[in-house]
Amino acid sequence: MPAKFDLNDSSVAIIVGSGAGGGTLANELAKKGISVVVLEAGKRMEMTDFQNDEMAMFGAFTWLDPRTSSGSWYVAKSSPDLPAWICKLVGGTTVHWGACALRFQEHEFKTRTRYGAIAGANLLDWPLDLNELAPYYDRAERRMGVTGTHGIPRLPASSHGKVLFAGAKKLGYTQYMTTNMAINSVPRDGRASCQQTGFCVQGCTFGAKWSTLYIDIPQAEATGKAEVRAESQVLRIEHDASGKVTGVVYADRAGNLQRQKARIVAVAGNSIESPRLLLNSSSSQFPQGLANSSGQVGRNYMRHVTSTVFGVFDKPVHMYRGTAQSGIVMDEARLDTKRGFVGGYNLELLPQGLPSFATNLMPGEWGRDRASVIDNYVNLAGVWIIGEDMARDTNRVTLHPDRKDKYGMPIPNVHVDDHPNDTAMVRHGFQQADALYKSIGAKRTVHHLPFPSTHNMGTNRMSEKPQDGVVNRFGQSHDVKNLFVSDGSQFTSSGGENPTLTIVALALRQSEYIADQMSNGTI
Amino acid sequence: MRHMLLREWVTKFSRRGFLRGGAATIAAVAVSGKDLLTNAAEAAGLSTDESRALLIFTRDLFPHDRLDDSFYAKAIAPLQHEAAKDAATRKLIASGIAQLNASTMASAGEPYADVSEENVRVAAIKKIESGPFFTKVYSGTMTPLYNQPELWPKFGYEGPSSALGGYINRGFSDIDWLPK
Repeated sequence: MPAKFDLNDSSVAIIVGSGAGGGTLANELAKKGISVVVLEAGKRMEMTDFQNDEMAMFGAFTWLDPRTSSGSWYVAKSSPDLPAWICKLVGGTTVHWGACALRFQEHEFKTRTRYGAIAGANLLDWPLDLNELAPYYDRAERRMGVTGTHGIPRLPASSHGKVLFAGAKKLGYTQYMTTNMAINSVPRDGRASCQQTGFCVQGCTFGAKWSTLYIDIPQAEATGKAEVRAESQVLRIEHDASGKVTGVVYADRAGNLQRQKARIVAVAGNSIESPRLLLNSSSSQFPQGLANSSGQVGRNYMRHVTSTVFGVFDKPVHMYRGTAQSGIVMDEARLDTKRGFVGGYNLELLPQGLPSFATNLMPGEWGRDRASVIDNYVNLAGVWIIGEDMARDTNRVTLHPDRKDKYGMPIPNVHVDDHPNDTAMVRHGFQQADALYKSIGAKRTVHHLPFPSTHNMGTNRMSEKPQDGVVNRFGQSHDVKNLFVSDGSQFTSSGGENPTLTIVALALRQSEYIADQMSNGTI
Repeated sequence: MRHMLLREWVTKFSRRGFLRGGAATIAAVAVSGKDLLTNAAEAAGLSTDESRALLIFTRDLFPHDRLDDSFYAKAIAPLQHEAAKDAATRKLIASGIAQLNASTMASAGEPYADVSEENVRVAAIKKIESGPFFTKVYSGTMTPLYNQPELWPKFGYEGPSSALGGYINRGFSDIDWLPK
């Protein structure tokens, strides 16, 4: 059963956030016998609360607290006060994630070495490589039940997937398949197999999709070593004169400020909230913010380079039927600078239900042409271009100079200017996706520029040298030894793959390190 | 800025109860007959003629011949409701419609809603598409239009599937026209 810890219990590990990073870390630490307090800003929902309703679940899951954005990126125009589409509830963004569980490629850990010095970018090699992470990828895949790995069968292809594969074959691609998915293809770990509902993003009503909400969090609580406090927003991390963190101040469900003491603090609030919290924890000793002697906290914000292409056919596809994102073409994920850009991209299925499709299509346009695309809704197929984003030190999360949230905490601003590499990659992706759909008879294709980012990375990046980044190869702050970062903000590069599997692998690895450091008394 | 903001979803979502309850009343009144954008609607803010013009304007923005006017009446209901409560919204809509009317009077000798030639109405809309009235109606009616469950079957969208067991036994992979 869930533990209950005293606010003055300074032996606990505080984990801020309960998504892929925080939820996994909480489960692992609790199973190792470490006392854990998870502070989650969002509310706690259960699987039975999920509805097959795009608009309702968007409202129920999404982090909608005020944010601003700036820069040349499209999202700053299309959705300036909602730059990211991430979740605010127990389980974090693992509640709505599409469940594509891909490993990063070897070269993506060594971008500075392999890509060279790219003008206008702030590339850096990760202080670890694929070999070192591989055993943790193995463990992550097993615990999440990733299809196509460790003998777990792949999901069957939907009609929507078959359209993608037929076009890929025509184009001469060879690396296409139903994606490695953290969705049960067969009953596993006490959870059902996928029923092809098509509502993955609205929360899997069958629990076939891996989510910390109903897997890691209850497991952590069952150890008797973990307490999850929902609707508890951490406002500041505090430290003592020696520079060690001592606990956090948070606003509880009733809006009252509480101070929870701790032995260590792990920050896993996603790549906007995590740097926001560190920046807001400045003090006379750490005037630039906690863990920020490098000045890199909040910098190198990466989303993925994304855009969507819809093919309009003259026969039915029913893209909304079946596992939403289970279909991928990986041929363009390779590193091949002859295409005019570094890094690579994947093509992943992106269906939308009619309400979200019709309201997101061709923003600002109206009339017969736009309506004719919606009239063809059943004949549409959609594919998402998802590629590597360039780290730039000017693409960053900062504290808003004036605006504050209801607890008086400065709201975050997200600034992004597209790098020329991004532009070149998207252009290539559009060309390939157009050709793919047209090769099998699409009458036209429709392009959609990026949605608010669900993949957010890099704002507390790992580095070998303290001056280049925020945390070391275990996600431990270079500056503050008992402070950790446990989410995608520690990524040094974005890769061209969905980030969650890598977040989980890093959390598994980090949990061993934390347990070792605690048991030998280093922290 | 004419972009549909994601945040608009939420605003509209929070009105879902309203859409399915209170506003349905206005909408029901509004669609009970072509000439029946009635006293109730008028008392609620916009005149009958204004409501009729707003409905046709919304249809011109999102023209689907397969949809009868009842769907568009529901789409404009939140704006009608807002106009009844908020003088600024009422004024914005009234002046926007007046602009459309002035434009079609000049080009076709009839108020906007009476013009049968779609091209003429479209030309009038193009003149105001960068203005606040256009933006208000565009973003204010889009979600209420497309998020009506009764509308989905008209486009072949089947809506919620979990209660039916998903699509695993209902054709998720039945495509039969792809090249071999």
